[in-house]
Amino acid sequence: MLVHRWIRLCTVCKRLISNNRGGIGWRTSTGHDSLQYVTEVLRGNTASRRYCHGDVGDLYKNESVQRYLRQLMEEYGDLTKKLQLACLSDLERKDMNQKLVKLLPVADVFQSITNALKDLEEVLSLLHSTVGTRDEDEQMTQLLKEEETQISQRIVALKEDLIKALLPSDPLDSSNILLEVVSGRTTGGDICQQFTREMFDMYQGFASYKNWDFEVFNYTHAEYGGLHHAAVRIAGEKVYRHLKHEGGTHRVQRIPEVGLSSRMQRIHTGTMTVIVLPQPVELDVSIDPKDLRIDTFRSKGPGGQSVNTTDSAVRVVHLPTGTTVECQQSRSQLQNRDTAMGMLRARLYQSMMGKETEQRHTARKQQVGTRSQSERIRTYNFSQDRVTDHRTGYVTRDIKEFMRGGEALDDLISSVLEHGEREALLELVEQQQPETP
Amino acid sequence: MALWKRHFEESGVTEPDHSSQYIIAHLLGAKTIESLNQEKLTEFLSHDKAQQLWDLCTRRLSRMPVQYVIGEWDFRDLTLKMRPPVFIPRPETEELVELVLADLQLRQETGVRAEAQHICLEVGCGSGAISLSLLKSLPRLRAIALDQSQDAVDLTRENALSLGLQDRLQIHHIDVIKGADTVVSLYDSISTLVSNPPYLFLEDMTSLEPEILRFEDHAALDGGKDGLTVIRQILTLAPKLLSNHGRVYLEVDPRHPPVIQQWVEEHVEELLYVETRHDITDRPRFCILQKGK
Repeated sequence: MLVHRWIRLCTVCKRLISNNRGGIGWRTSTGHDSLQYVTEVLRGNTASRRYCHGDVGDLYKNESVQRYLRQLMEEYGDLTKKLQLACLSDLERKDMNQKLVKLLPVADVFQSITNALKDLEEVLSLLHSTVGTRDEDEQMTQLLKEEETQISQRIVALKEDLIKALLPSDPLDSSNILLEVVSGRTTGGDICQQFTREMFDMYQGFASYKNWDFEVFNYTHAEYGGLHHAAVRIAGEKVYRHLKHEGGTHRVQRIPEVGLSSRMQRIHTGTMTVIVLPQPVELDVSIDPKDLRIDTFRSKGPGGQSVNTTDSAVRVVHLPTGTTVECQQSRSQLQNRDTAMGMLRARLYQSMMGKETEQRHTARKQQVGTRSQSERIRTYNFSQDRVTDHRTGYVTRDIKEFMRGGEALDDLISSVLEHGEREALLELVEQQQPETP
Repeated sequence: MALWKRHFEESGVTEPDHSSQYIIAHLLGAKTIESLNQEKLTEFLSHDKAQQLWDLCTRRLSRMPVQYVIGEWDFRDLTLKMRPPVFIPRPETEELVELVLADLQLRQETGVRAEAQHICLEVGCGSGAISLSLLKSLPRLRAIALDQSQDAVDLTRENALSLGLQDRLQIHHIDVIKGADTVVSLYDSISTLVSNPPYLFLEDMTSLEPEILRFEDHAALDGGKDGLTVIRQILTLAPKLLSNHGRVYLEVDPRHPPVIQQWVEEHVEELLYVETRHDITDRPRFCILQKGK
C-alpha cells in the first residue's frame, strides 16, 4: 500500500520537475526537495497521527490561516521575482535569500497541494466524462476512483504538513531542563506533601519511560514521609518540549488513607507546584561575581581552621534580581556552590526568556487561558479515579496507571502540546504579520 | 534519626541534625540522606546495623567529629579516608585547590615551560587532600607531600592508594622547621609550592570546640603567637626550592596577608608578593607569591 502511494507520488513529482512552474532556478531543487519532503510525509503518516482530520480541516479552512498563507505565498513570489533582478546589492541579495529559504518548506507543501488539487480535478473530470457513456471501461473507472481516493488522502496529509510548517517553532524545545516540585501549604494534614512525592515519582517514571537522565539535586523530605520540595535535572531528547506545559499548579482531591488527614474520611484538596526551567547547553547568562552574595555555614564565625563542620550547604543570592538558590546535595561545599551556580544560571536565563515571551502574549491567548502560576492546570481526583487537564479539557481514567508516568502521561502531554501549537498558530495568523523568523 | 538527634541535642553536641543524618546515611551505604530513596529509609535495620549505629552515635556523643566517626569525607570530587588525629580538610582549602588549578592552567597556556612537567610540593599534607586533588585534576602533574606527623604520612599514603594516584605522589615524613636542611637538599626545581599550614594564633587555640581540641592534631593548627611560625619557615625555604617564576600558594588567617606581605619584602629578597585572594565568605584567605629577581 505504501509502495503503491509512493509510485503515484513519483509520477506527480516527475511532472512537477518537468513542468515550468515556480521560479526559474528553483525548479529542480524545489522538485527534489518536494520529493524528499513528501517521502518524509508518508513515513510520518505511518507513525503516529498528530492531528485528527477534523482539526486539520478546521485549521486549514480558518480564514485567518488562509489569509496568512496567501500573504506568505505572495511574499514568496515577490522574493523570487526580485531575486531574478540583476541590480541587487550583495547584502540585499543575501537578506532576501535567507527569507526565501525560511519560506521554502511552506511554499513546497503549498505547491504540492496546489498540484495535487489540479490532479484531482483532472481525475474527477475524466471520471465524469466516461461514466454513463458507451465508452465506459469498468477497469478504467475503478482505477480512476482509486486514484481519486489516493490523491484526496495525500491532500489531507499535505495539509497537515502545511500546518506544521506554519507553526512557530520553539527554539528551546530540544533543551534539557531543571524540574522543581514544591508542595503547597495546607492548614493541617500532609496531603500536599504526599501528593508532591507522588508527582516526583511520576516524573521520575516518565523520565525512565522516555529514556532520559534523571539527576536529583535537592530532595527535602517533609515530616511523615511526604516531600517538601525537590529539584532535578532531566536531560535527553526534547525534554523541554514535552515537559514545558507541566509547569503550574496541580491539584489533588482524595480521601486520604494514611497520614494525619485520614481521620476525617472526607475529600481533601491539596495543591503542589511544578516549575520547569529550560537549560540550554549554551547559557549566555553572564553573572558578575559582585552581584552575588554567597551564604555558607562559614559565613558566621571565624571560619578557617578554627571551625570544623559538616554543614556544607550553600545559598547564592543574586542581588540585582533577588533570585535565591540553595544547595546541600553534596558533602563538599565547593560542589554545592557549583551546583547552586548552575541552578542560578538556569533561573536567570528563564526569567530573561520569560520577559521576552510575556511581551509576545496576545489577548486571545489570555482568553483561552494560559494559566498563571496560581491557576491550577490539572486536577487529580483519586476518589473518582480521574485526571483532568483544564487547558484542553482532556480527561483520563485509571489514575494509578497515570501516576506511573508512562504512556498515559505521554498521551496527555501530546494533547496539550497539540492544543498549545494550535493556539500559537491561530495567534500568529491573527497578528496579520508573517513572522520574521 | 530523630531519636539520635535528640540525644545529641541533649548532650550539647554541635549540629545534631547533620550528625545523625550523615551517620545514618553512611550506615545505609550512601553519602547523604537525600540520595536515599524512600524505601531504604523506612526499612528496619538489621541487628548488626543497629549495633553499628549505636557504636557510631556513641562516639559522636563524645564530640568526635562526624568525619572521624564515619571514617571518611568528601573534598571537591574526591572521597578521602579520615582518621584521628589527622587534620580534617576545611571547605576553604577546596578553594585553595581551585585557585592553584586555575593558575596552573593559565601558566601552562602562556608559560615557557608549557611542555615541561610541573612538580608540586605540599607542606603539611594531612590527609593528602590538596596534593591528591591536584593530581586528580592534572594528569601530567607530579607531586611531593611532606608532613611532620607519621599519622598524616600514613593516611596520605592510604588515600593515594585508594585513588590510584600513588605513582605520581612521593610522601615524606619531614618537619620543615627541624629538617629544613634535608628538604632543601632534596628539591630545587619545584614549580609550585602549596600549603595549608597551621595558622591559628596561640590565643585562639583555647577557644576551639571540643571536636577539634580533643581529636585533631594541635600541631596542625597552632601557628605560634602570631600564627606565622610555620608560614615564615615555608617562605624562607621557598626561594631555595622553587625554580624561577615558581609560585607559592598559602591558606592563611584573614589577618595575615598584609603582615606577610610586609615581612616578605623585608626578609625574603627573592620572593615577590603577587596578590591576596578571598574565600567564599569574602575574607582574605589566600596568598600568592612568586620567585623572581
